[in-house]
Amino acid sequence: MGSRDSAHKPLIRISSLSKIYREGDQHHVVLDGITEDFYGGEFVCLHGKSGSGKSTLLNLIAGIDAPSDGDILIHAADGEIALNRLTERERTLFRRNHVGFVFQFFNLIPTLTVIENVTLPLNLMGKRNAQKSAASLLDAVGLGARTDTYPDKLSGGEQQRVAIARALVHNPRFLLADEPTGNLDAETGESVLTLLLRLSRSAGKTLVMATHATEIAERADRVFHIDGGKLILHKG
Amino acid sequence: MRRSLIHFWQIHLAVLLGAAVATAVLTGALLVGDSVRGSLRDLTLNRLGNIDHVMLSERFFRETLATQLGASSATDVSYERVVPAMLLSGTAVNATTKMRASRVQIQGIDERFFGFWSSPETDELNEFLKKKSGQLFPSVVINQSLKKELNVEVGGTLLISFQRQNEIHPEFLLGRRDTLDVLQTLRLSVSKIIPNSGVGQFGLRPHQSSPFNAYVSLSVLQKALDQEAKVNAILISSPKISAADATERLEKELRQVLTLDDFGLILRQADDYVSLETSQFVLKPNIIKLAKTVAAENEIPVTTVMTYLANEISTNGKTVPYSTITALGVNEEMPEGTGEPPDNQVLFRAARLGEGEILLNEWAAGELAAQPGDRIDVSYYVIGHEEQYLTKYAQFRLKGVVSLTGLAADRELTPKFPGVHDADDMSDWDAPFPVNFNRIRSEDEAYWDEFGATPKAFVSAETGERLWSSRFGSLTAIRFGSMPGEDLERTQTIFQEQLRKTINLEQIGFVFQPVKEQGLAAASGATDFSMLFIGFSLFLIVSAALLVGLLFRLGVEGRAGEIGILLASGYTLSTVRWRFMIEGSILAGIGAAIGLVGAIGYAWLMMAGLRTWWIAAVGTQFLSLHVSPFSLSLGYLISIIVVLASIGWTIRRLGKISIRSLVAGATEFEEQTSGRVVRIIAFATTGIALALFLFALNTDASSSPAFFFAIGTLLLIAGFSFLSSWLKSDAVSEDSSSRRGLVRLGVRNCGCHPGRSILCAALVGCACFVIVAVGANRHGDSGHSASLEQTSGTGGFSLVAEADIPLHHDLNSESGRFELGFSDRDEAVVAQSQIIPLRVLPGEDASCLNLYQPQNPRILGVPDNLIARGGFQFQSRVNKEGSAWRLLYEELGEGVVPAIGDYNSVMWILHLGLGENLVMRDELGEPLKLRLLGLLQGSIFQSELLISEANFTKHFPSQSGYRYFLIQTPPKDAEEVTQVLENVLRDHGFDVTSTAEKLANYRTVENTYLSTFQTLGGFGLLLGTLGLGLILLRNAIERRGELATLRAIGFRRSTLSAMLLIENAFLLLTGMAIGAVSALIAVAPHILTPGSHVLWTSLAGTLGVVFCVGLTASAIAVYFVLRTPLLPALKTE
Repeated sequence: MGSRDSAHKPLIRISSLSKIYREGDQHHVVLDGITEDFYGGEFVCLHGKSGSGKSTLLNLIAGIDAPSDGDILIHAADGEIALNRLTERERTLFRRNHVGFVFQFFNLIPTLTVIENVTLPLNLMGKRNAQKSAASLLDAVGLGARTDTYPDKLSGGEQQRVAIARALVHNPRFLLADEPTGNLDAETGESVLTLLLRLSRSAGKTLVMATHATEIAERADRVFHIDGGKLILHKG
Repeated sequence: MRRSLIHFWQIHLAVLLGAAVATAVLTGALLVGDSVRGSLRDLTLNRLGNIDHVMLSERFFRETLATQLGASSATDVSYERVVPAMLLSGTAVNATTKMRASRVQIQGIDERFFGFWSSPETDELNEFLKKKSGQLFPSVVINQSLKKELNVEVGGTLLISFQRQNEIHPEFLLGRRDTLDVLQTLRLSVSKIIPNSGVGQFGLRPHQSSPFNAYVSLSVLQKALDQEAKVNAILISSPKISAADATERLEKELRQVLTLDDFGLILRQADDYVSLETSQFVLKPNIIKLAKTVAAENEIPVTTVMTYLANEISTNGKTVPYSTITALGVNEEMPEGTGEPPDNQVLFRAARLGEGEILLNEWAAGELAAQPGDRIDVSYYVIGHEEQYLTKYAQFRLKGVVSLTGLAADRELTPKFPGVHDADDMSDWDAPFPVNFNRIRSEDEAYWDEFGATPKAFVSAETGERLWSSRFGSLTAIRFGSMPGEDLERTQTIFQEQLRKTINLEQIGFVFQPVKEQGLAAASGATDFSMLFIGFSLFLIVSAALLVGLLFRLGVEGRAGEIGILLASGYTLSTVRWRFMIEGSILAGIGAAIGLVGAIGYAWLMMAGLRTWWIAAVGTQFLSLHVSPFSLSLGYLISIIVVLASIGWTIRRLGKISIRSLVAGATEFEEQTSGRVVRIIAFATTGIALALFLFALNTDASSSPAFFFAIGTLLLIAGFSFLSSWLKSDAVSEDSSSRRGLVRLGVRNCGCHPGRSILCAALVGCACFVIVAVGANRHGDSGHSASLEQTSGTGGFSLVAEADIPLHHDLNSESGRFELGFSDRDEAVVAQSQIIPLRVLPGEDASCLNLYQPQNPRILGVPDNLIARGGFQFQSRVNKEGSAWRLLYEELGEGVVPAIGDYNSVMWILHLGLGENLVMRDELGEPLKLRLLGLLQGSIFQSELLISEANFTKHFPSQSGYRYFLIQTPPKDAEEVTQVLENVLRDHGFDVTSTAEKLANYRTVENTYLSTFQTLGGFGLLLGTLGLGLILLRNAIERRGELATLRAIGFRRSTLSAMLLIENAFLLLTGMAIGAVSALIAVAPHILTPGSHVLWTSLAGTLGVVFCVGLTASAIAVYFVLRTPLLPALKTE
């Protein structure tokens, strides 16, 4: 369980955040001035229908996408980072250093082996001992024996475990997961979720997860429902 | 089907355009060939008008011959028009500006000539041939080319020089060689300038360039040449009968109207004999042979006569100058014993003379106080090498003395020779040979007064033959007696008729040439442009086919799910395949139809290019587009087959993928050929290519295009097989942190779809192959920097010259130059130069400068001193021992003559090879094979073939003098020597060119062709680049999720760009490397031959440009790929 007491500054502070997509003359408001704080070590679950804006919010927090309005402040060791004021290049660097992302379709690089996929973020950061860290994480996800395997030889669950290892390997400030079990059967999904929670919690990482699955929401510290562009707290 | 075609319109449009490109290139190449052939045909018909046959004789004949032939056709509609003319060649000089034009065709014509081009413009031209009142000089009509060359306008004055026609050959003892004797100059007033088409383009020799034409009234030329009512050509239009029929009929009719006089023969009847003589002094060998045969068949007794001039007859310290000696022979056993008629005394005794025996007449014996048994010395002239008079000596023993009666007193034994026989005194002789009048005594004058040129001595026919026979003949007369049972008159009639019937008209130069038929045949071209362009477009066609296959594959891959569903729904595999084949056929059909329009555009563009940018290759602006339905159909058919084969190759993989994978949208349509098989192919093709390479290197096949293409294709296959094998292997697995890692990642991505990558690299490789192969063949020194080394293409000669009118004097000797009119100052300039003269048999240009297929190439007679000197570089020769030039002395049997040619001309224009024969007819009408024993490399002799001078004069005896000159002079003096020679010998049309310029002209043609093909290579590159771009786009679309992930985890856009660019750069570089290396190895046997030099810098530059172009195209594709939002891809599979 993450800490939310006032002594701690929020890790992610969202303020009046809006995202509007324009299609011709029409404006499609996906997020409509939401304000919320996410704290270090907590597991936040975003719930909602398809197209409600869950992924959009994750992308905004990750700096993959830029908001139409509002602020996203990230509390880093060296001060607060106003994500919405960063250039694209700075956002990329931010992502590289602070964010771990787990996707629904695993999104592994097919031309790289399992361990190469995992070391990718470390290599990008120019970290040494990338192989060692990756191998240790792969052991942790139960794939220590499959390091030199290519993704197309792995099952869906195994691929997602590799993706989790990749998301954690560079020790990010927080993890974002977009329907991480959406493409897996229930049993596999459960084991992957358990693994993800175990690893993120043991590392003290904030985990923000978008999902349809209500059973996942039950395990979250806080659950938000996104509807009509608004963020509504359901639990916590 | 229709809906499917429309639904996937983008990829189908791309396939369709690919098919269109393939068709356009293939059919366009065929149309280029059609257009060149068609244009040359048009040009032939244009320059000949309605002329079908021409008889062009070396000597003049009666103008009425044409009238007689025309008259015979009056009752027979075979010939529409029979026109006599004088067709000469010479030099024209603008009298005001002194600008000069060589190789001017001077046509002596009348109004009948213009009828061959029936148009109102030509009809009125005759008026311009007439001299207007008040006009000082006769009129001349000239064509635009000549006007441009001389910068002359109507009203201007031209000096036109041409060769006089003397009956006696200039190289015979009695022939006249002085400039004034061989040259005639006319001053003419330009009355009209006509365009370079139709009559203005008239010329008998097929060449695409516009000739310099001057048209003069026939009567003016006849008068100038002192050949009243004579012509040297008859032009005939016979549209209603075939060329072969017309030739046969013309010869038959000509035979009926020809007289012995037309052959230059005289039948003189005396009281008791008939004598066959000639206005040319000596009877030609073929006439002698024929006359003897006719005589033998009719049992006519024959006496042969050869009378020659002795400079001196000496014995006992006494000398008789300038006497004639007659060699006599008989064809029947002479009755022996006493009682023989006094007339036969000489004949009887002379016929029995042995070698080294002589009879003197009583006058000579008296003058010399000679007694039988005395040694008699005779000196006489012969014409030596380079036409100087050489004094020869012969020793005899006096066998006896004959009285000056009967035959011994027959002054007719000596043929009449103008300037000598009609002189009152010996001191009045106007002889062409040197005469020392101081030697002539009063006794000699007294003999001349009483007996004229009556011979003073007699020898046997054999002795006469040995001493005085030449290539012009060995007899001055043949005397006939009566045939058994017939009187002399009847014998003469029979002899004359039989001679006329059996004489070979070709041997005396009376041959009707079917010029139009020959011209049209030659218009098929020395070079098959269809094949040439297809050859060099082949890689472009293959590229287009690969692109079609690639595009179609992308289309099919994109529809994997659809295929899977169809198969899952119960469609059979063959039905699905057919469905795609039909779709492919529709696309190919429509694409190819569009391609036909493109082909016409392509051919039009090529023609426009050849008329303008690449005019140096063809030298004419007469090329125009010709479209033949046959080529269109053929191109269409072949293109569809090629495109369908490519599509079929793609869809054959359909059955090898599981339905489950297809339904899941598997895009791995690539053939999983086992790495082992690929490696076997790679090694096998490499092995075969290397074996061929070594074979080519060690044989004369080094420049064979077949070897080039075979080695090149095998190496390309090998290269791409190795690449395929490597891409399929798990070769690379390393971190991607460093740049090297990024490179590895890019390279590894190429292995994701090895088939696509190989196709892409192959597209680039093919284009690169063409560009490099062509580039390696380019000549660097197309400027004027040719080497003057003896073993170079110039042979060490800095200048080469040609004369319109042959020279008969030695340019290397002071006396020769004096005769030709060199002043002391000129003498000083030229004296340091070495000039080697060569004989010329006029013929067609055998070089790449002539688009027509030469049928009778020009031939040069190489003198002994050039053979001894050697020089030039030989590409190949039959016998590698000793001097290559000495091969010209090889004895190859009767009718076979050794020859040397330039490799390029022999191989590409004459389509012959080393050891092969060029079959032609010699001057006597006998078949003559020129066997090519040596081939020169990049020499100045690309327009002709070379044979030894001895063989030249043997087979072409009537060709006189020297018209081709190799000049060795220090480069610093070259310009001055050129000026002096051209100035002094201007009336001979002496044209000096630097050998460097001559070589540069040939090389410009080659380089221009190469530019054309490099352009085709450029088109190939364009397709390759397009392929690269498409592959990149397709790969990027398929990998959008991957790219989005990389962006999500912190890869910068520039890093992704670099990664994608590296992928493409890798394909580009490997494709280029395989193409370039294959091309360099394929052309290596050629470039390793001595004298070849490759412009490496230019080649590297070209490759650099290729790389930059490819990379730019990739960069554009990357820009478009990364510009589209990647985020949605994070949510898609």
